[in-house]
Amino acid sequence: MARSVWKGPFVDAYVLKKAEASREGGRSEVIKIWSRRSTILPQFVGLTFGVYNGKKHIPVNVTEDMIGQKFGEYSPTRTYYGHAADKKAKRK
Amino acid sequence: MTTDKVVVGTLAGAFGVMGEVRLKSFCADPAAIADYVPLTTDKGLTFHQIILTGQTTNGFTARVDGISTKEQADALKGVELFAERSLLPSLPDDEFYHADLIGLPVHDTGGVFLGTVKAVMNHGAGDLLEVHGGTLPASILLPFTRAVVPTVDLAAGRIVADPPPGLF
Repeated sequence: MARSVWKGPFVDAYVLKKAEASREGGRSEVIKIWSRRSTILPQFVGLTFGVYNGKKHIPVNVTEDMIGQKFGEYSPTRTYYGHAADKKAKRK
Repeated sequence: MTTDKVVVGTLAGAFGVMGEVRLKSFCADPAAIADYVPLTTDKGLTFHQIILTGQTTNGFTARVDGISTKEQADALKGVELFAERSLLPSLPDDEFYHADLIGLPVHDTGGVFLGTVKAVMNHGAGDLLEVHGGTLPASILLPFTRAVVPTVDLAAGRIVADPPPGLF
């Protein structure tokens, strides 16, 4: 069952505080968070969060198309390396 | 680190009794494995033609030149298939093959050796370089952006990174 709209999106309060402080500071730092359940809000766009996966913080650079998702979706808790083969990486 | 050969797949045994094989592809587009012929093995075999005949669980069925019986196909089960690195198409600026990045030494902007690239991963929020070894107590993940990784010099074989605060 989906969350009721009248409640608004859930975000842990400390995530909001840290994001606000980082934005005011104007520095491009990685904001370490443990709250995988928090929703990604529009004011987080452009910030980089280090989302804990139970072992380490995975850097997540928030973009517009992530709004409404949860932070945990971008920080998998299991690692699979696979083969490089012809896979490509793009520097943004 | 630019290597001459890259692993693009593996033979997974026989398919049927007519000499077809099961083929596992590691390529981004799995069917592209047939475009990288000739494929070689570490046993010294070379396959000049691979015709994909269908799909099976976790891979393809294929007809490979030089394999005509089920016994031959079974004997090559688990053998890795290598393609020449030079056969991979060239890429535009700021795009790199994982195979070229893995193993490259990473230095910070002050010239301090951080470690080497262990893996390149993408969890949906952009590419990440996993760097380990060197002075690092544990592996770190660097966002693969111009700001954090300003220099990727494949010719010189080095990466210069400017890790943001809070990453360690």
